[in-house]
Amino acid sequence: MNMQIVKTLFEGFGENLILFIVTIIAAVPLGFVITFGSMSKWAPFKFVARIETNLRNNRFWAEVLDFLADFRPISFVTRVFVWIIRGTPLMLQLFVVLYVPGLLLGIPMRNRMTAALIAFIINYAAYFSEIYRGGIESIPKGQYEAGQVLGMTKTQVLFKVVLFQVVKRIVPPMGNEIITLVKDTSLARVIGVAEIIMSAERFTKQGLIGPLFSTGLYFLAFNGILTILLSKLEKKLDYYKG
Amino acid sequence: MAILEVKGIYKKFGTTEVLKGIDFSMEEGEVLSIIGSSGSGKTTLLRSISFLETADKGTITLDGELVFDAANPLKRNSTKQREIQSKFGFVFQSFNLFPQYTALENVMLAPRLAAKEREDYKKNKKEIMAEIENDAKELLDRAGLSDKYHNYPCELSGGQQQRVAICRALALKPKIMLFDEPTSALDPEITNEVLKVIKSVADLGMTMIIVTHEMNFAKNISDRIIFMDKGIIAEEGTAQEVFENPKNPRTREFITSFSQTGGKE
Repeated sequence: MNMQIVKTLFEGFGENLILFIVTIIAAVPLGFVITFGSMSKWAPFKFVARIETNLRNNRFWAEVLDFLADFRPISFVTRVFVWIIRGTPLMLQLFVVLYVPGLLLGIPMRNRMTAALIAFIINYAAYFSEIYRGGIESIPKGQYEAGQVLGMTKTQVLFKVVLFQVVKRIVPPMGNEIITLVKDTSLARVIGVAEIIMSAERFTKQGLIGPLFSTGLYFLAFNGILTILLSKLEKKLDYYKG
Repeated sequence: MAILEVKGIYKKFGTTEVLKGIDFSMEEGEVLSIIGSSGSGKTTLLRSISFLETADKGTITLDGELVFDAANPLKRNSTKQREIQSKFGFVFQSFNLFPQYTALENVMLAPRLAAKEREDYKKNKKEIMAEIENDAKELLDRAGLSDKYHNYPCELSGGQQQRVAICRALALKPKIMLFDEPTSALDPEITNEVLKVIKSVADLGMTMIIVTHEMNFAKNISDRIIFMDKGIIAEEGTAQEVFENPKNPRTREFITSFSQTGGKE
């Protein structure tokens, strides 16, 4: 009987681990794409700033022209996207990914795990992208300038000078987010993914409450391992200050 | 022939005019100091010469070659632009060493990246790399840092960091060295060790422009001094002319205020 419980819980936690690992593998690079989007400086209406026109005498039109000249469509769209993803509950996003393709496009989402993975990857990529952006923007301008005066290309400055410093700076906040992800995987149960807590609840119907509480140990143990790995990584990167 | 010719440089930030028509030229091996109060545009001028800022108007000629024309600026990041860029060595007020690299690695990084573009790189990789390392070590030795090759910037004092930064700029064998207030971020006691290194570079015949608040240093090292005030060159001459017999009342005022406060602003 006891072995049966442990086996069921392990199988459930396997689902959590799949969600965790696939989300990390996909969201870490996807976050970079979103970061480049939100930091995009492409301003197609920049030329407006150079147009000499009498409209500028009018305060309203002057504001409109300034707005147009500064308008960065890629950055704008990306930031709205990040706002929506960070501004709504992940639980709701799980339902949206599960049902909306069927309702709008007539292609029902058949696999619940796939739906959960899509929701998790998009959600976490959005969070990661903001951490990356913070890291990139925290690098002093002088580092880029030093690269420039040494005749480096932009790519060389990015990969030889900036990237490593960004990685060092984002490891602590990324660690935080990664540990949150481990626990968030249990949200997938709302769309019927048989993760560990859902599996344990079956036993409560038989009058067994112990298995449900014991699920905490699985999360604790796994997060313990992650914490050790993350602090090892932090130590490794700590050979210099600044 | 002049090695550097700066003509009609104008620069605006928003609606603030920082440079209002700067003209000067330099001979090879000349040491030129730019002095003036904060906000006079001296740093912006230096940054415009090294393409850290793009001037709105004007031209810069280096060694007879037009390297900057505001009417037709080169594309940033282009090969041509980078080639010109590396003819100017630039030393920042705040050092801007790369913190993840050791002193030696900081000095070698740019020459190593540049060497990869050489045609014979693949064939003579080992020799080229060894040569770069030797040159870098020699530079650090001359700056009195022979025991600091493998230290990270965070393990060095401000004066040592700035000396590494000077070596890093020299490693690309520039035609002109530009110093932007190289000692302003340092304690008075360690200022001297940096000034000594700058002096030794000048003694080797390097053409240099130094923006500085160290009046005594400027007086001793410079062949010529430019005093800037409100975006223009208010006075220009030998150290003796500018310090002992200034023609412009603003220069006189500035020099006097410095001799009263002992050289620090």
